[in-house]
Amino acid sequence: MTAVWRAARAAVRRRKLQTFVIGLVVLLSTATIVVALALLDASSAPFDRAFAAHRGAHAIAVYDAAVVTGEQLAARKPGVSASAGPFGQVSLDLDRNGPGPQGPVTVVGRADPGGPVDKLDLWRGRWATGPGEVVLNQPPPSETRGVPNKVDVTLGGKPFTVVGYAFSLSGSADVWVSPEQMAALHPTATQMLYRFSGNTSTASAVGARLAAVTAGLPAGALLAAQPYTVAKLQASADIGAYIPLLATFGVLGLIVAVVIVGNVVSGAVVAGFRHIGVLKALGFTPRQVVAVYVTMVSVPAVVGCVLGAVVGLFAVRPVLADGFDDLGLGGGVGVRSWVWAVVLLGMPLLVVVTAFVPAVRAHRLSAAEAISAGSAPRAGRGLRVQRRLGALRLPRPVSLGLGLPFARPGRSLFTVIAVLLGVTTVTFATGLAATLDRMSTIRDAATGQIVVHPSDGKSRMVAEGSKPPTSPPTATTKTDSQVEELLRGLPDAARVAAIYGLPIPAVGQTQPLEVVFTRGDIAAMGLQREITVGRWMRGPDETVVPAQTMRERGLAVGDRITLELDGRRAVLTVVGELMDGPPGPEGILADWSVLTALAPDRVVHPWEVMYQVQLHKGGDVAAYVAAVQAADPAIDALDTSQLSDFVVTVVGFSSVLALLLSTVAALGVFNTVVLNVRERRRDLGMLKSIGMTPRQVVTMVLASMALVGVVGGLLGIPLGMLTHRYVLPAAAESARAAIPHWVLEIWHVPTLLLLALAGLAIALLGALVPARAAARLTIAEVLHNE
Amino acid sequence: MTNDVVVRLDGVRKEYGDTVALDGVTLEIRTGEAVAVMGPSGCGKSTLLNMIAGLDRPTGGTIRIHGDDLGRLDETGLALFRRHKIGMIFQFFNLLDDLPALDNVALAAQLAGTRTGPARQRALELLDELGIADRRNAYPATLSGGERQRVAVARALMNRPALLLADEPTGALDSRAGEQVMDLLLDLNQIGQTLLIVTHDERLATRCASRVVELADGRVVRERALERTA
Repeated sequence: MTAVWRAARAAVRRRKLQTFVIGLVVLLSTATIVVALALLDASSAPFDRAFAAHRGAHAIAVYDAAVVTGEQLAARKPGVSASAGPFGQVSLDLDRNGPGPQGPVTVVGRADPGGPVDKLDLWRGRWATGPGEVVLNQPPPSETRGVPNKVDVTLGGKPFTVVGYAFSLSGSADVWVSPEQMAALHPTATQMLYRFSGNTSTASAVGARLAAVTAGLPAGALLAAQPYTVAKLQASADIGAYIPLLATFGVLGLIVAVVIVGNVVSGAVVAGFRHIGVLKALGFTPRQVVAVYVTMVSVPAVVGCVLGAVVGLFAVRPVLADGFDDLGLGGGVGVRSWVWAVVLLGMPLLVVVTAFVPAVRAHRLSAAEAISAGSAPRAGRGLRVQRRLGALRLPRPVSLGLGLPFARPGRSLFTVIAVLLGVTTVTFATGLAATLDRMSTIRDAATGQIVVHPSDGKSRMVAEGSKPPTSPPTATTKTDSQVEELLRGLPDAARVAAIYGLPIPAVGQTQPLEVVFTRGDIAAMGLQREITVGRWMRGPDETVVPAQTMRERGLAVGDRITLELDGRRAVLTVVGELMDGPPGPEGILADWSVLTALAPDRVVHPWEVMYQVQLHKGGDVAAYVAAVQAADPAIDALDTSQLSDFVVTVVGFSSVLALLLSTVAALGVFNTVVLNVRERRRDLGMLKSIGMTPRQVVTMVLASMALVGVVGGLLGIPLGMLTHRYVLPAAAESARAAIPHWVLEIWHVPTLLLLALAGLAIALLGALVPARAAARLTIAEVLHNE
Repeated sequence: MTNDVVVRLDGVRKEYGDTVALDGVTLEIRTGEAVAVMGPSGCGKSTLLNMIAGLDRPTGGTIRIHGDDLGRLDETGLALFRRHKIGMIFQFFNLLDDLPALDNVALAAQLAGTRTGPARQRALELLDELGIADRRNAYPATLSGGERQRVAVARALMNRPALLLADEPTGALDSRAGEQVMDLLLDLNQIGQTLLIVTHDERLATRCASRVVELADGRVVRERALERTA
């Protein structure tokens, strides 16, 4: 083994450039794969871990207290490994100052935050034990960190004091009170929390377990049930959109790595024929020769893999931290051991396997055959092509160069694939950026450029990054309709819409449904362009629903939703699905008249309403914002026409990864040209000896890769377009969103022409350095070293 | 034969690190001469040829070929010099395996900008003069050693060089093929082609050269005129 190691080490030292290229390619590919796998893992694993730690409820069941007793519910049931309850439950109107849920909320009576199911994280304060005390399911407001302040709320019209802030991963309640307090609130339902044994991987599996639990209960006992998969989907939605995108880049990176490593190693064997012959002549067995070549490639691969894993870790950390901040999972998110195992063992293994195939060629080569390689004339390849090219009216260096790829068809094919994948990545990234730009344009239109929020005298709305107002807030004296009138009357105002969100209980849903009541020009503002399925509303009995709400609530176009408030009902038919919806809490859209019908006595204050304004084309947003505040200093207006963080992040990382993979592809071309030049040193020397100028040498070498670049480019573009076509909807699906079809229609002839040049650019950039090196080749040395 | 000087070397020195390959070589070759450079291995023969062909640059001294001071030419200038002023024949032929004989020969003219048609026409004439026109479409791998060297000679003559340089032109050939190449070089010289041949082969020198320059340790140790044996 010592001899093998020494020979391999000597080979690595002699082939510094080749070693560097292998190491760099593996490094970049490994970094990409770490990012992709870590995100893939993070999209589900943190929830599962936290769910186990919190002893999360597989199902939250709400029973009718009038039909079934607590004793019946508490009895041991088949398939239940643990249960909590019965807990009294009631829906009450929460009114408060400050951030957090308001309006109808689910209130549950629990004695403590622990228990066998749904163990709560008590983030701040203590549990509610006495009358008039509540614990809210929300992160504590920043001002209560340190010494908690006394916060009062009204619940069902009665005053309560917030004594703590807790978090339920299962989402079992919005507000908790003590069981005694719950009794005083007259619960209308009973909540049971279940953990099941056996298969609980899907909503239907959970449903089946729950059916077994409720089998012996009186008819109509179960009012509603929610499987844990809803909370899981919610938790993974933010990060979900990244996964298919990152996985696509990861897979592309992986294939590029395999192709280039294969090409580099094949080339190393071919270029090392004489070396192999010498090794065999010295007494190396065929197996030892294979070992030398596999070791030679493995050394830079292992180094590249380890460094790439570290680079990948640094790259993925900020994305993971951003994605899981809102889950209450603390610092529990990281790159898990299986990712390290797959990357650190898989990548070198992949390289070794790729190296093994051409190394076997070395195994079969006889010593004499190997040593004489290069000095005897070869039966040329691609002869017919060369001949035809020679007859063309092209400068001879160009026609000679164009014929070179045909002399090494296998190597050229690998190089074409590398360029192809580079162009595929660039095309995909370009399409991704264009689609996100269109989506951002829709969002801009839907948010109406300017958001206006009248102050209630307690808080102000300040633009991100702006200084807080120096004077205390004062409430606007204008009514809702007066504010709208003011906004319509200011210069440049083209469209104004009023939006008011209110959670309203819906028949058949365990949680109230957020209903976004709209008035004014909401449709004309561009929200209609967000329709992904179905159509826009044509009357007050119709609704359109954001895709995320559709999936969370199990809705579909054609479904009917029955809203119920204070004994009044409104039935809405779902006629369309929206990509997103207006800013603010996501909910189903309804005409303002539905609110009037459900709550005719309700007075809507202007500070409860969000107004959106869209200006005439060319209108000055800053001037309009200033005009609003000049007209009424108690009304805040913000310019919202900027890119979202998601768009910036995705365009940022896709650009970086496209650049990265293009660089890797260019490295593949670089390697091919280095090998070609090394093999054709004698020919180059001869050509220079008969008068080929350095510029002609560069032209010839660049021409040899130009064809590769053009072919790779022309094949890579459709592949990139197909990837864009299928991956983006998949990304949207992972985020439980949907995208309108027309945002995928972003390809135009000038874009495609530019992309076609990308292949050429990758090839020429990759070939330039070795081409210039070839031009500087010392002829005397080459021609006399036969 | 005229008395114009084609090659003039004055105190040419070439060092590779601590090794002195040429040590103050001074030499003149006149138009129409056939000069053989001889000497033991490592004496500097090939280095001298490289300097004259502009394939390598001397460490000291000057080289003038057909009026050009090679020391003043950049890489492109040297390439153009090689293209127009000299032709080279190598021991191992150095033909492009991917091109047939005709295209190998035409290449030299095509690099100089001659169009494919006229270049192939001129190449065919040369192959015909050298007796291998019937092998014009054959690839190097299917040619005999003698045929390959004829193709190489034809390529060297393609741009009508002032000086033909041959580096061991018979070194890789069997005796019969070697004889044919010797005849060819002699014929060329007799019609006025200036020749510089680097060789170990005394027979080749005495057959083709009118003068022999002997090198030892990078220096010219002896010059002698020859009576050709042919």
